[in-house]
This record gives sequence, structure tokens and C-alpha cells, in this order.
Amino acid sequence: MERLVVVWCPELLEEGPRGEEARRFARVVARAAELCPWTHPVRLGVCALPARGPARFFGGEEAVAAQLAVAVGEQATIGVADGLFAAVLAARAELIVPPGGTADFLAPWSVATLARPDLAVTLQRLGITTLGQLAALPAASVSDRFGADAALCHAVARGESGELPGLRDRGIERRLRVARGEDPDRGDAPPSPFQPGFFGGASEADRRAARAVVKVQARLGIEAVLLGRVQGGRDPAAQSVLVPWGSPDAASAPGAGAPWPGRLPPPAPAEVLRVPRRAEVVDADGRAVAVSGRGLLSAPIELVSVDEGPWQAVTGWAGPWPVTERWWATRRRTARLQIVTEDGVARLLRTERGQWWVEALYD
Amino acid sequence: MFAFQPGDPPSPRSREPRVLPPGLADRVRPTTPVAGRTLPVPGPLAPLFPGGSLRRGTTTTVAGRPGHGATTLALALLAAASASGSWCAAVGLPDPGVVAAAGLGLDLRRVVFVPHPGNGWAEAAGDLLSGVDAVLVRPPGRARLTAARHLSARARERQAALVVLLEGDAGASGWPEGGDLALSVGEVAWEGVGRGHGHLRGRRAEVRVSGRRAAGRRTECSLWLPAQSGAVALLEGDGPAGDGPEGDGPEAA
Repeated sequence: MERLVVVWCPELLEEGPRGEEARRFARVVARAAELCPWTHPVRLGVCALPARGPARFFGGEEAVAAQLAVAVGEQATIGVADGLFAAVLAARAELIVPPGGTADFLAPWSVATLARPDLAVTLQRLGITTLGQLAALPAASVSDRFGADAALCHAVARGESGELPGLRDRGIERRLRVARGEDPDRGDAPPSPFQPGFFGGASEADRRAARAVVKVQARLGIEAVLLGRVQGGRDPAAQSVLVPWGSPDAASAPGAGAPWPGRLPPPAPAEVLRVPRRAEVVDADGRAVAVSGRGLLSAPIELVSVDEGPWQAVTGWAGPWPVTERWWATRRRTARLQIVTEDGVARLLRTERGQWWVEALYD
Repeated sequence: MFAFQPGDPPSPRSREPRVLPPGLADRVRPTTPVAGRTLPVPGPLAPLFPGGSLRRGTTTTVAGRPGHGATTLALALLAAASASGSWCAAVGLPDPGVVAAAGLGLDLRRVVFVPHPGNGWAEAAGDLLSGVDAVLVRPPGRARLTAARHLSARARERQAALVVLLEGDAGASGWPEGGDLALSVGEVAWEGVGRGHGHLRGRRAEVRVSGRRAAGRRTECSLWLPAQSGAVALLEGDGPAGDGPEGDGPEAA
């Protein structure tokens, strides 16, 4: 798999009412191409370039990312990984995923990232919510049971392939030519062929809501509209599932409310971060606080900093609650902590291999 | 459709008679039932709303510092409506806590989330206002005046309730139009966590209401936002004395 740098421009992912996004994105591609002539657009707001050459030239992948961030002239996040799929997610998370680390990196992401709503619903009904869980399934049974497209998804989840049909917008080159004024006959993007499934016994209100949802999907994409489900799991991220609209049975909640060993007591956090934020947790002497194998803190917590932000005094914490989860391939040891800071904000933190992450915010 | 004769001004007879015959008065109902013009809110939040409910066609802003419970309050406004059969939508909440939403009482079968509308947030909210009963929208930063006006007008026209979540530094001014009703979360304090023991059990919060439809009154309410159950609850009498202002009950001077 080719190692790719992806530039992700969150403001340019959709065409706005004034249609200036394509023009601005064409400029982004042109500026990135000045650094690396092999830059190519993937879809509106996302472009990719091979990492190897520029990394050698600029002195490492970090340097390439830094150069690009300055050069593109738009709000952009940059990521590096093996294969397009992982590189796009890496860009969304602003990470450089080491070579060979693709499967580990992809494991915690939702199967919804595959942009296969039907498959996501089917998998989620089987309790498979993350790419890691999908990767753990035997390849033969995936292709037997779910078909060829699912087999491609499976290979992607395993980090064996980086390409997925639909990942690249085939019309993007032409669209950018139009935006640059090179092609006068401009057509609209073809309407989505997807007809959303529907709840049985629909009332007029259900039909009105469905019509509005379809409008939003036409505007933002099929995966833009989601329904929430509650399922069993220890942590809020595992319990909270968002399934694409069209799931015939988004209401029933397997495991909802059921006792789950090691589950955090309610109330649940109102904001569950898809992409955890890095945090630093230190004691009174400024030393990093760690959780021992026995599940004890190395020292009382004094200060916390999130995303390299300012240090905040910790007024209270609860835990650590050690969790040794059966993960998709290996056992991993994690512990959770609820932390309240002086500004009155409560967060749920997780530590793993010495690194702290903010998983959720009690907003 | 309707017979209309030009030059035939409406006579007083065609209007509703002022005095109804005896026996009829207690059987007639207004053409638009009151319940049809409003959406229910959870009981503990009712004192914040004129009439005790969320009026269709209006805009309610919910402001607060990030992490201080404005998201919880805004989601809670949809709870009773969705539970009583109304469709609701939440646009621009990037990482909604589904378990928390269920805990607040939302019926997840009738709540659609559009977590990442990007630049299309106003258009998506506008689309949804014409199809669902209540739309919660979190603008990315301060909303443009035109977008705010357009959405409030759409809510009025479609008789849907618009709830705007404002967590930036701009506070309530993040919605340039101002809301018909403006809720804001003030002081908050989490209970249940010590230095290394307990677990989060609930958050005390002061919620203020003001705005055009607050009828000049400025009401404050002390709430569990949320309580240990995950729902919102009135905070009354179980704290230390002098803990927070009185509710909006009659001011016994």
C-alpha cells in the first residue's frame, strides 16, 4: 500500500450556496501541487499526495505536514498513513500513523466510516461496531455472508487495502476544471441513487420527517443523517451508536439498560468524542500520573491539560476503574477516570500505554 | 376551494358568537388545540417556559460556557416532545452522547442527528424545520444574521420549534436575531466526586431565562442538569441552606 499524505479541508467538503468551495479547493490542490506535483484531488475538500518523495525532500513526514498546512491557505488538517482510507481518517484526526500501524489505528473507528449504511446496520445488529471488530472476522466468512463489497471493506479494516469503491469522487477532476474556468458546460452532481429504507406503519408525521431527511441526505450525503441507538458496552463510546438513517430497526436497543460488568454508573456524558483528545495528567510535582498494573494512581492528580491547552487545576476525580478488555486481537489494559476541573467541567479520561485521552465530556 | 363572494364583507354573524348557548360552551374547542400549538417539555423545565411548554414557531436559544451543561439542557428540551410522538432533529452536535440523550428522556426512534453538516448547517436545519416538530441546531461559531433570520422565519412559517445551542464565548449574542426565549446556564457544580473516590452523580446548575417571550420576567431555576438518573430534575431543599436562589415560585415578599 502506498504511503499517502492527505489534506482534509473541513470547510470545503460540501458545495455551499454560493458554489465557491470548488474554486477554493482547486486553489488548495494547486498550492499542494507546488510542493508535490503528484498531488491529486480525492473528492471535494480532500486531496492526497504520495508521502515518500516529499518526506525525503523536506526531511520527514512531520515536515511535509507542516509545509502543507502553511501552503494550502485554507483551514486544513493533515494526516499520513498507508493507503487512502486510513490516510483520510488520519487527516481527520491530524495524526501520522506509522508504517504498518494501519490496522491498530483503524480498530477503534466506527464501521460507519466505511460509508456502507446497509452493511453498517447489519454489522451493528451483530454487535460489530468498530473496524477492529470487523477485521477480527475471518475473511472467508465475511465474503460468504456479506458479499464481495463487504470483503473489500474487510480488507480495508485489516489494513490490507486502502481503496474502497466510492472513496474517490470520479467527477472531481472535471469539477475542478470547471471551477478553474476551463470547461464551460457544467453539470450538477448526479443525484444519489440510494432510496432510504423506511419504518413500517408510517404516519403522516413519519412521512414528512422522512421527506425532510431525504432532502438533507441529498444535500450532505447519505451518511450525514443518523439515528442513535443504545447498546451494551462498558464505555460511552461502545454504548452510543449512531446508525445511518434507513435502518429498519434503529429503535430496539440490544443490551440497553442491561447490567454490563464494569459499566460506568449514570449519568452518561452528553458528548462522546469520536476522536479522543490527547491529555496530560500530572501530580503536584509536575510528574506524569500513571496507573499501575494493580489499577492504582502513581500520585494524587493536580493538573490536567487537554490538547496541549493550558493547565487546569483538578478539583476532584473518581477512579481509576481498570478495564481489561477483550479487544479484537490482543488484550489491552486501560483504565478510566472521571476528572472535574476548577472551571466546573467534568471529563471522562482513559489511559492506555502511558498516554491519557479524553473520551467524553459531561457537557 | 372556499366560496368567496367579492363585495360581501364578513358579517358579524360569520364570526364566532360571543355568547355560546348553554350546554355548548363546555363542549367547544378552539380550532387549533392548545396542545397542537405547543410541544411538551420535561416537568422540571416547565417553569422556565411561558405556558409551561415549548411554543411552536418560536426560537429558543440555549447558551452556556463549553462543558457547563448547555448541550444537556438543549437536548433535554427535545425529550418530552420526542417521547410524546414528535419528530426532532439535532444538527451540528459533532459528538452526541446517545446514552445521555436516552437518559434525558429522548425517544431515539424519532430523533435524527446530523452531526457534521459543515457549511450546510443552516440549510440542513432549514430542510428539517419543514419536516419535524423541533430542531436543535448548533451553529459553528457566530451565526450570520441572514442565516439566523431565515431559520427563525422558517420555524415560524412551518410551526416548528427551533432550539439554538450557543456554547461559544459570544454566549446568547451568537444568535444575532436573539431568541424569543433565551435560556442560559450559569453557575454549575458537579456532585459525587472527591479526590480519588465516588463517581459523578449529578450537576447542580443555575438556569436563567429571558427574552422577548419571557414577558419581562427574569426567571431563575435551580436544576440537576442532569440528576443521577440521567434526566433533569428540580433541585429543591436537599442542598445546604441558602444554596442557590429560589425557583420562580411566587415571591412571598
